[in-house]
Amino acid sequence: MAIEWYLVLSAMLFSIGFAGVLVRRNPVVVLLCLELMLSGGALAMLSFSRLHGDGDGQVFVLMVLVVAAAEVVVGLGLVVAMFRRRIPLDVDEMKELRG
Amino acid sequence: MTFDAPTIDYAGLSPIITMTAGLVLLVLVAVFDGVKRTAPAIALLTLATTAGLLIWQWDADTPLLNGSLQIDGLAVVFSLLVVISAAAAVLLTIGDPSEHQAGRPDFLALLMASVLGMVMLTMASNLITFFIALELFSIPLYALCGTNLRKRESLEAGLKYLIIGSVGSATLLYGMALIYGASAATDFTGIASGLTEGGLISDSLTLVGVGMIAVGLAFKISIAPFHQWTPDVYQGAPTPVTAFMSAATKLAAFAVFIRFFLVALEPMAAEWDVILAALATISILVGNVGAIAQSSLKRMLGYSGVAQAGYMLAGIVVATQQGVDALTFYLAAYLAMNMAAFAAIVIHERQSGFSDSIESLRGIGRSNPLVAWPLTIAMLALAGLPPTAGFIGKLYLFQALVEADWTWLGVMIAIGTMISLVYYMRVVATIWMSPASDASLQVPSGEPGVDLDSPRRWYLVLPAILGSAAAIFFGIIPQPLVEFAQHAGNALAALIS
Amino acid sequence: MNAASWGWLVLLFPLLGSIFIGLTFRRIPPKAAGLVGIAAIAAAFICGIAAVISLQGEPAESRHVADSLWTYASVGGLSIDLGIYVDPLSAFMVLVVTGVSSLIHIYSYSYMKSDAGYHRFFSYLNFFVFSMLLLVLAGNFVLLVVGWAFVGFASYALISYWYRREAATRAGMKAFVINVVGDIGLVLAAILIFRELGVIDYGAVFEKAPEVFTTTNEWTAVAICLLLLVGAFAKSAQMPFHTWLADAMEGPTPVSSLIHAATMVTAGVYLVARAHPLFELAPAAADVAAIVGLVTLLVAGTIAIVVTDLKRIIAYSTMSQIGYMFVAVGIGAYSAGMFHLMTHAFFKALLFMAAGSVIAAMANIQNIDRMKGFYKAMPFTAAMLIIGALALSGFPGTSGWFSKDEIIDFAAFRGGWYEIFAIGGYIGAFMTAIYSFRIIFRILPGPPCEEAAHLIETGHVVHGEPVNPATGEKEDIEVGYPGEDHHIAEQAMGMKIGMSVLGFLALVGGLVQIPGVTEVITHFLEPTFEDSPLAAMHPTVAEAWKGLAKGAVISVVGIAFTWWLYIGRPSVPETLRRTFSPIYTLFINKWYGDEIIDFLIVKPVKGFGRFANNWFERYAIGGLTNGTIAIVRSASGAVRDLQTGMLRGYALLMAVGTVAILLYFLIRGL
Repeated sequence: MAIEWYLVLSAMLFSIGFAGVLVRRNPVVVLLCLELMLSGGALAMLSFSRLHGDGDGQVFVLMVLVVAAAEVVVGLGLVVAMFRRRIPLDVDEMKELRG
Repeated sequence: MTFDAPTIDYAGLSPIITMTAGLVLLVLVAVFDGVKRTAPAIALLTLATTAGLLIWQWDADTPLLNGSLQIDGLAVVFSLLVVISAAAAVLLTIGDPSEHQAGRPDFLALLMASVLGMVMLTMASNLITFFIALELFSIPLYALCGTNLRKRESLEAGLKYLIIGSVGSATLLYGMALIYGASAATDFTGIASGLTEGGLISDSLTLVGVGMIAVGLAFKISIAPFHQWTPDVYQGAPTPVTAFMSAATKLAAFAVFIRFFLVALEPMAAEWDVILAALATISILVGNVGAIAQSSLKRMLGYSGVAQAGYMLAGIVVATQQGVDALTFYLAAYLAMNMAAFAAIVIHERQSGFSDSIESLRGIGRSNPLVAWPLTIAMLALAGLPPTAGFIGKLYLFQALVEADWTWLGVMIAIGTMISLVYYMRVVATIWMSPASDASLQVPSGEPGVDLDSPRRWYLVLPAILGSAAAIFFGIIPQPLVEFAQHAGNALAALIS
Repeated sequence: MNAASWGWLVLLFPLLGSIFIGLTFRRIPPKAAGLVGIAAIAAAFICGIAAVISLQGEPAESRHVADSLWTYASVGGLSIDLGIYVDPLSAFMVLVVTGVSSLIHIYSYSYMKSDAGYHRFFSYLNFFVFSMLLLVLAGNFVLLVVGWAFVGFASYALISYWYRREAATRAGMKAFVINVVGDIGLVLAAILIFRELGVIDYGAVFEKAPEVFTTTNEWTAVAICLLLLVGAFAKSAQMPFHTWLADAMEGPTPVSSLIHAATMVTAGVYLVARAHPLFELAPAAADVAAIVGLVTLLVAGTIAIVVTDLKRIIAYSTMSQIGYMFVAVGIGAYSAGMFHLMTHAFFKALLFMAAGSVIAAMANIQNIDRMKGFYKAMPFTAAMLIIGALALSGFPGTSGWFSKDEIIDFAAFRGGWYEIFAIGGYIGAFMTAIYSFRIIFRILPGPPCEEAAHLIETGHVVHGEPVNPATGEKEDIEVGYPGEDHHIAEQAMGMKIGMSVLGFLALVGGLVQIPGVTEVITHFLEPTFEDSPLAAMHPTVAEAWKGLAKGAVISVVGIAFTWWLYIGRPSVPETLRRTFSPIYTLFINKWYGDEIIDFLIVKPVKGFGRFANNWFERYAIGGLTNGTIAIVRSASGAVRDLQTGMLRGYALLMAVGTVAILLYFLIRGL
């Protein structure tokens, strides 16, 4: 298959993830959408790696997966802290800081 | 089969190794109750050793780890500035209430991890290390912003930072993928040659990749329109964290900005300079205008940081060595001014029960000179008034812009400075006006972390005095700092045309 | 240590002294502040001597050292250094300034003793010396302007030293405003120099000037020199910028002595001497300098003959003598002009000091009509006054005789139309003798006036009421007013020391420049002026002695005439006044200088200001400013409204921004 398909798929993943961040209100779901965005990027990276016959992209993707995991850990930690303090798990409710 | 171990330049890697060791030590210390009090000392020792090793590597110009890191003048200069910022932050965390909840060693461990990421980022010369280092410095910061569990806004700040930050990082990643695709290389010099040889410099997908990387980095340095997290996070996070973040993230991100845009994307300078100039202009206007009606001091400094980032971005737009020199000088001056300002804010807020409003600064010129003077000097320096280092920094930026035919951007900086005088001078005026008739500082007694004696704590006063002294000193005798900044520019001299 | 290092030390000591006294004013006793001030200037003087010694160690061609501490800015092809230039001319000025300043500091130590603002005085005085030295040692036109401006500020601070007196503050502001007009001229000159020659360091400018200005009197060269002259005239109180000097006498006497006699007012002369290569390329401007000097010389002399305020007489005398110096540097007699600068510093400072002593005895009354018979009451002061007056009139043997006549001789020697300077010079010398001995013969002999009698009988100075002599208002003795006690030379050691040294120098100072015998100053300054064809011209020794003889005659005749006027036939002055009353009115109103300036400049400017305020400011500027404020405010509101606090909103804006950037690139890429 030509590389364009993979690139289109990765773009779609990225956009769906971004749209999810824009639309969804539950922080855990937002974290999930962030993962989607990162996966989109990773997919693009992999396809280019295959195109060039280079291993760099694949190594990069491994790193990206680790980083994504770390990010989610911290995010979930913050979400748990929110939950413990009885703050409703709604991203729209967090607007004390504004202006 | 013989096994050839790769050559490892331990000397060049020594700063990173030291930071890692310090980080690990701090995490261990967190486990054992008895040694918890030594954590700040360990952190400062680590930072001092790292700084010493960086100075030892002053003249180095070698690739490390098979070209994924490059230790050169740019890396050393920016890493030193980051380390100084971190040391000031460590001093400011002593006695901070958020530590009681996060536990001091853990807090400092996260800080060290962030510094490690920043040091790596200044050295990064490969897309992979770029991404890893960027995330390494950001993720601990997300956590650090949320450590003041007593205040709901801290948590809000942390979560906002994380989500928006990750959006930025994901965009950055996608852009990197596209650049990798266009140039078939991940190391910066390889990218430059790959782009020219592949003939894809003006290709739309390459440009999209550049745009997305610019967006990811623009988020980190608070460039409008990607700036909206900055006022909220600056206001909500514990002040020592804000102090660290405001200067250090800009330092690290600009280091890699310089390295990436002026080395890897140098062949396509004509493509991206206009868009960066536009972003800089928007930041200058948005940042300055947004700060005007703020009543919270930290929030105002957040907006002002957006504007300052706009000024700094102009140094990259020109794509000349002089621009890099000017940018480095301005960042160093910005570090000094920020240190002074935030140290003063920490002293003030601990004394006054954590009121963050500008009104609470009324009349401290008379009652609290140790807060008033550094804050005044910092405001004047940020506004760019002579004889402070801020003025000299803006002068050099202006010079670099004029000599590269970007005079209109220089005019924008001047306009921005004029607008900024409004809010900076308002703070100065409030400080020196007579105090309000009623005791507006009702200190809630018993609130944890309130320290009525805070102006006497040496660890709070030291960064304030050093920062303001540096801001004035380098305003009168700029030469040493100019040479320091030029050391960074020289490192790239061979690569920038 | 080469001369430049000594030069830096010369600058450092007064600055440190000023800062130290300023910062510790609450903590150290007044005496200590005074001693620190004296020590700082004395140290500077010693370093000046060391600089001269090290300069003289060099061969004549290389007797100039330029040194720069750091490059302050290097913008747009212009490199501005913090650099000094030490050569015989600047070393000479340094010695004169620091030498006379140390003596005046010693004098002030005693004179200002009871003043509540003692520390402030010495801090300002030290700062003034620093600024003057900066002006003299500056190595490029930018630093010169900086020093010039600082000197202007120091003068303002010291004139309005007794700041609770309205007259003093008004005088300070007048001095400052007129000085600023001069500053503008100087800055414009510096800009033109940079535009034409591309450099601002002295060495580079003077080298390039002949290459760029190939013909004499090119209009840019003339313009530069005229602008320099505007600055010089304003600083040195020459016409038409002279009106501030008389009012500046509101300051304490040491201030008048230091700033308005010996140092600051000579800055203009120094400037012309320093920039002589430029003036020689534009001789028209040099002639203007000389003519203005001549006019001032004569006019000021006439005013001095009729005014009755003691310090103002001496002030107008200063104006007149500086006119001599401008004539000198205008016609090319540079070393003669500098020599007269030096001797004038001696005897004029001495005269002011003695005047201060007399005014103290008179409980701050400065009107010579009220003073009589101080010969017996204050013998030391009287002797000093006489010495000063003799030197001022050019009595044979005194320093003034040698210096004044050297200038006149050169004018006569140059011949042609320059003869009028010689004639004017002699007329001026005659007038000088008249007004200087007018002072002597009015206040010294005769039956003692009330205050003098009190002094003779009780040995104490009259204790005057703290009352402003000008307006009669009752004053406090807190800071900003002169103190209650007055100090006279006979009773104060510091004053005695200062005055004796100056008296000695006023008498023997001329011996360094006896024509044909010693010619120390000419030889010393030769390396600076060696590139000038004019400086090489010298009247012969015989002609010089003939001139000296003429000068001696005029001086003695003038003194005799004055004696006859005031002692021989005391009714004559009154008759003269009545018969020549229109001329007298003209003189006593200072040739209506203040009124002319008021009519020509102040009223139009005020009128223009009112117009600008009512029309232009309100509508044009006001509209523009308010419009901008409204725009900025609404923009601020917009930015803050965007900041809703909602996370998704932020993400949306980021998305919009990203899409915008991508669209830009995609459209470009097509």
